[in-house]
Amino acid sequence: MISFSALSKCYGPLTAVRELTLQVEPGEVYALLGPNGAGKTTALRCLATLLRPSSGSAAVCGADVSVDPLRARRRIAFLSSSMGLYERLSARELVAYFGRLHGLAGAALTKRVDEVVELFAIGDFSGRLCGKLSTGQRQRVSLARALVHDPPVLILDEPTLGLDVLSGRTIHDFIVRERGRGKTILLSTHQMDEVDLLADRVGILRKGELVAEGSPTELVQSLGAPNLTKAFLALMSEWALVPEEGSA
Amino acid sequence: MNSAWWVVFRKELLETLRDKRTLFVMVAVPVFLYPVLLIGTEQLFLFGARNLDAEPSPVAVIGDAPAALLDLVEASEALTLTAVAGDAVAAMRADQVMAVAVVGPDVDADDTRDVTLLFDAASDRSQRAHTQLRRVVEAWRDTILDRRLRDRGLPATFSSPVAVADSSIARPADMGGYTLGRVLPLLLVMMTVLGAFYPAIDLAAGEKERGTLETLMTAPVPPGAIVVGKFVTVALIGVTAAGLNLASMLLTFQTGALQVTEAIGLEVSVPLISVAVIFLTLVPLAVLFGAIFLAIAVRSGSFKEAQNALTPVYMLALFPAMLPVFPGIDFGPVLALTPVAGVSFLFRDLMSGNAGWLLGALVLVSTTFYAGAGLIFAARAFGNERVLFGGDDTSEVTADPWARKLWSRARPGRVPTPSAALGFVALIAVLFFFGGIRMQIAWGESGLLAAEWLLLLVPAVLFVALGRFDPGLTLSLRAPKAPHLLGATLLIAGALPVVWLVGWLQSFVLPIPWDLLEGLEELMTAQSVDRFLWLVLILALTPALCEEIVFRGVLLGGTRTLEPWRMIALNGLVFGAFHLSFQTVIRFLPTAMLGALIAWAVWRTGSLWVGTLMHFLNNATIVVLTSLPVVRETFSDPEAPPPLWLVPIGALALGVGLLVIVRSTSSGAERAAEGVPGS
Repeated sequence: MISFSALSKCYGPLTAVRELTLQVEPGEVYALLGPNGAGKTTALRCLATLLRPSSGSAAVCGADVSVDPLRARRRIAFLSSSMGLYERLSARELVAYFGRLHGLAGAALTKRVDEVVELFAIGDFSGRLCGKLSTGQRQRVSLARALVHDPPVLILDEPTLGLDVLSGRTIHDFIVRERGRGKTILLSTHQMDEVDLLADRVGILRKGELVAEGSPTELVQSLGAPNLTKAFLALMSEWALVPEEGSA
Repeated sequence: MNSAWWVVFRKELLETLRDKRTLFVMVAVPVFLYPVLLIGTEQLFLFGARNLDAEPSPVAVIGDAPAALLDLVEASEALTLTAVAGDAVAAMRADQVMAVAVVGPDVDADDTRDVTLLFDAASDRSQRAHTQLRRVVEAWRDTILDRRLRDRGLPATFSSPVAVADSSIARPADMGGYTLGRVLPLLLVMMTVLGAFYPAIDLAAGEKERGTLETLMTAPVPPGAIVVGKFVTVALIGVTAAGLNLASMLLTFQTGALQVTEAIGLEVSVPLISVAVIFLTLVPLAVLFGAIFLAIAVRSGSFKEAQNALTPVYMLALFPAMLPVFPGIDFGPVLALTPVAGVSFLFRDLMSGNAGWLLGALVLVSTTFYAGAGLIFAARAFGNERVLFGGDDTSEVTADPWARKLWSRARPGRVPTPSAALGFVALIAVLFFFGGIRMQIAWGESGLLAAEWLLLLVPAVLFVALGRFDPGLTLSLRAPKAPHLLGATLLIAGALPVVWLVGWLQSFVLPIPWDLLEGLEELMTAQSVDRFLWLVLILALTPALCEEIVFRGVLLGGTRTLEPWRMIALNGLVFGAFHLSFQTVIRFLPTAMLGALIAWAVWRTGSLWVGTLMHFLNNATIVVLTSLPVVRETFSDPEAPPPLWLVPIGALALGVGLLVIVRSTSSGAERAAEGVPGS
């Protein structure tokens, strides 16, 4: 499971995430929503141990990200649209490389690589250099890379950004399947249909603060909006009308 | 073997070897391009020399030319006697003739006749014609001498009582090593460093640019293992490139493919053991630059940015490598401890066959030590999230267009960014270097005064005003308290003898420019009270105001976001560098120390006036000591050590001064609450 406890992250005078507290249970998909610059990516990066929280804490299956980042990393798969692949490695070499970094070796490594290659249908192009793959193929290799150690927690930062409908569908199917396997899943997104389709619970971030939380239905009802998009817009426009004071 | 660094290393090596650019620099350049380029250059050189010799040079003899001389010129195969009408220089400029002998009027029996040879030192053809013409004129001179001796019945040996002959004991192999030893070290260092250049950029900045560093950092691998894996790859590529270059160069020379070496009697054979030691020394060198390049490259956001950042470092590394090329520099312990220079000199000595074990060991140990330090530097960068993912974005502070800044008022709390402040100081330094020197040449001492006010103070005030920076905060314009001033006075009184001692100690290492010092002494001697006051104005009061506003004002104000010790050290270094010139390297350390001390006091008290007072007291003391001959006699014999009894007293005053200022200023948090600049 995932837990944030009053986590804040500051860059000099700017506070990107302010006292974020939330929990995601195994078998649950939690979607973080928010406009650009709301702090979604920063929060996910803190959880993935890429950034060090300024205060507060976060933990993955009991491993505190600040105290024992390496232990936390073994328990997570982190996938973000900004993450690249090694252009001069073949798809299979790349997946195997990350398998080795996660401590797999020998027959166990070969077996696991074969599994993920099959799972994400990489077989046809597993020998091709990553630099020569299409966007959709790259996304599948990224998934295989992230999942090679079969961790209990998935952190997905805008996983379908820039993908066509078909590739997006592959990701959605994957998320549903992993939830079924009892994985804890935290994702950030801009796409309301994605949230409708996948999320068990939603958290809305505004200027680094969690301003609303609940199931999609609860959120729509509590804001009296016809759908989630309208509810989201209502929250954001409410903020736009609020004077600047105290929100910096 | 499956430890994390090994996994990273294997993958990096595989990927690097698939990179055509790296392979080209590492393998193709030394193996093919080198010998081809070298032999090609030699052929071109030989072709040019043959071409020059092929046709005779047109020359003229003008003035009172005797027939004997003209006959000799005509007889020479290398020269063609050409008639010149009018101006000889004009004829040469028009390329009608390559050299001209201007023969003076005939003289009495035993006198000397003048002959001037005109030639163009900037033209190869003219120089060659000059040499040939000179030979002919000297042959003519010898015939006259012979005649004079014969007329008096003297033997030919009369005019040469001593015959001097040169004979070098160097064997062809020694000469080969000597010649090679001047050129090859530079080439080897250059290629080793270049070998590490692209892999370092690719493995650090390239990985950041492509977004794979973020991917890598999510794997459970400690940053240290990533650095080691990457760094071993870069160093290995550097060493391999160096080895291939060494082998290729030696083979090119030793197979006798070069006609030039044969023609001038050079034999190139470096003993195998020397080659092995050279290769062994290249390893820590490759390690050192692998680490430095990686550490710098990882701080850059893109391949291009890293290339821009590394190129000056590369150029800087070549300078010490070039030292063995210059004659007259002896290889000693100081050079052995100098990064890169030591390696380069050791190569020279190994190739000419007179390397010492002690110096060799010093080079190996010191280079290994520097390599270790470089590695720590790199490891720290990989453990730093700001370096890896950016995020410390303060650029918005200076992002407004200049036009808008002009018309609006200063924003409270706004200070320049470190890069803006450093950029400003760099600009001022260039302005002062070119403009200030011109002003001093044009107006003498008044020029110095004008340069300080117009090129330091005015730009600093304009910078703060146009940048809409908060003047009070940027320039630390807080009124000092009495204890601050007392502390500052004690600090500078204590620092003077200590800095004096440092200056005296470094005179053992660095040469003192005596001529310059004597000139200064003359300039600073005051015969009258008016002159003394004028000196205090231009040398103490003016710098105390104008330099302080730049260094402890803008620079200190703009670098407050750095850690205090970095900010203070940077201030001292920049202040020392500003006072640097070719003759005054010796001033750097003392000036930097004073700069750092003043920076500390201003940062601690939040008052620029404390800095102004310290700067004034320091400069005024020096003016008093040097301008009054009586005092100077007692205190400033530059070769004598400073009065040693002053040093402990100075140290004591320094300590008390520090204490007074620390006691009279509150802690960081309290000062922040009070709104003290720099807290």
